[in-house]
Amino acid sequence: MNRLLSTRRLTDIASHAYIWLLLLLFVMPFAALVNYSLTGPRGEFALQNFAYVFGSFTENLGWSFRISLLTLLINLAISLPAAYGLVRYNYPGKHLLFAFLSLPLYVPAAVLGIALVLTFNFTYRLTTSEWGLVLAMVVGSFPLMLTPTVVALKDLPIVFEEAAQCLGASKWQTYWRVVFPLIGPGIGAGMLLCFIIVFNEYLVTLFVKPTFITTAPVRVFNLVRTAGLLPTTAALAVVMQVISFLAVLLFFRIYGTRYLKGTYLL
Amino acid sequence: MSSVRLDGITKRYGHTLAVEDISLNIAEREFVTLLGPSGCGKTTLLRIIAGLIEPTAGRIYFDQQDVTYLSPRARNIGFVFQQPALFPHLSVADNVGFGLSVKGVRKDVIAKRVEDMLALVGLSGYGKRMPAQLSGGQQQRVALARVLATDPRVLLFDEPLSALDRNLRETLKYSILDLQRKTGKTAIYVTHDQTEAFAISDRIVVMNAGRIEQIGTQMDIYLHPATPFVAEFIGANNSLSGVVTSVQEGEVTVDADGLRIHCRPHSAFREGDAVLGYIRPENIALLNDKDDHDVHHIGYINVFDGVLDRVIFEGATAQVRVNVNGRELRVDVSGAQRLTLSRRGGRVRIGFNDVTLIPKPA
Repeated sequence: MNRLLSTRRLTDIASHAYIWLLLLLFVMPFAALVNYSLTGPRGEFALQNFAYVFGSFTENLGWSFRISLLTLLINLAISLPAAYGLVRYNYPGKHLLFAFLSLPLYVPAAVLGIALVLTFNFTYRLTTSEWGLVLAMVVGSFPLMLTPTVVALKDLPIVFEEAAQCLGASKWQTYWRVVFPLIGPGIGAGMLLCFIIVFNEYLVTLFVKPTFITTAPVRVFNLVRTAGLLPTTAALAVVMQVISFLAVLLFFRIYGTRYLKGTYLL
Repeated sequence: MSSVRLDGITKRYGHTLAVEDISLNIAEREFVTLLGPSGCGKTTLLRIIAGLIEPTAGRIYFDQQDVTYLSPRARNIGFVFQQPALFPHLSVADNVGFGLSVKGVRKDVIAKRVEDMLALVGLSGYGKRMPAQLSGGQQQRVALARVLATDPRVLLFDEPLSALDRNLRETLKYSILDLQRKTGKTAIYVTHDQTEAFAISDRIVVMNAGRIEQIGTQMDIYLHPATPFVAEFIGANNSLSGVVTSVQEGEVTVDADGLRIHCRPHSAFREGDAVLGYIRPENIALLNDKDDHDVHHIGYINVFDGVLDRVIFEGATAQVRVNVNGRELRVDVSGAQRLTLSRRGGRVRIGFNDVTLIPKPA
């Protein structure tokens, strides 16, 4: 039998072709975007669009970073104690509580946006502000931080905490010196997911943002709506994509892939 | 170094009693082992002493101090777990120095103490390594150094050798004993392995079903088990059940289904008492035919003829089953005799003196 055409070889070729086809489907739109962002006014190759990104769009990227980082900090402050309480203590209704806390993940962004506008404006009499926007992001994204943290804590044998306690560590010392470092990868995975979601969120932002804040995704949306798709807008979109991509790469570099299992990133 | 006193310790989980009314005094510098099958409550008791579990009732005293409701942190104990439980993100030195570091001791003082402790457990120069770079035995040594570094009042061990392989267990159990002697710490050690308990303890507490069955030295427990459980749990044993038929000058004769057994028990029995008798396989001798003319001359008060049922050669010893009037007795043979045993079916004569008698529980 001809070795070149053995069944095994044919399956090999077919599966490779399949993988490359899928990859192409995913990469194509992004490649088109990159190509468009590198096009000058007369259709020639040009880098000037990116100069524009770091000129006129700096403020938008700045807001996006600022909102993301503040959201991450608040998420950390909420998720760490919540995860600890959910994993290390037993009380009735624990699983129900966790299900409730994960609920924002299953609420459509538009519904969340309207709900938050109602709550902020009519219940709390808050006018839209930067903190309102940050809190809205927290509501929508903290389950992304909570879930990996809960998983990491469940995987951490309690004996480390008991050992620390017996050696004379206080609760706080046990958290800071033993628990948090050991669940670091879990927390890292949560922060990464949150960052990517919040950095690129625009629908909820549209609902609750004050007029003086325009984040990068909102700017892209506005520009496309008012001016059509310009190469400069494409350049901004490419930059946002690259930032998200770098965040994932950084995470892989530090922790490897295992902490992202079960998330939609892997 | 503290004495430890338990007074009526009880732990209840719902309707199950994990530990029931345990009172125990442990002297300063004493090495006491809690020995029992899994699920007997020994680990629960140890964790109660450590403060990791709060008892339902009872009091714990270190010296005169009532520590019942103190956190583990305030008790100043050294707890060695079944797993080394070294903090994987800290170096060996940082692990050993952890207890001092959380108390805010100065860095140079900690460094000196860490060096001393690592030298004590024979791991000088390992300070910079990470726990994952050490073998299981080395990790458990570091765990020992880590608890000793804080100079605890009491050392608590929860089956610290059970995760290690056999040779390592052998050497490490003596290292633990050495360290305890050198540092003069009071130690409480939990194990289900009786050879381990016998090798290292000053006293052994045999536990079963949440209760103490017997407290005593190795000899006490081996020679004079107080309850049927202890007699059956410690070593292998041939058990017989019978009735006392005569008592004369401290010699008691028991009729166990037609087998007349003479013994010299420690406690008093009366005619008609229902008793359990235990004869250790290693205390039964296989006698040669030449010995058969004068029973008392060869020094055995019980001599029986039987048939060799089975011989299991185990290396250092041979396990022999002898059928005496339809009753199978196990005899452990050591020395040169084990090498010349006929395989089976031969007639043999056995002799023994030591029989443990325990009143039959109602």
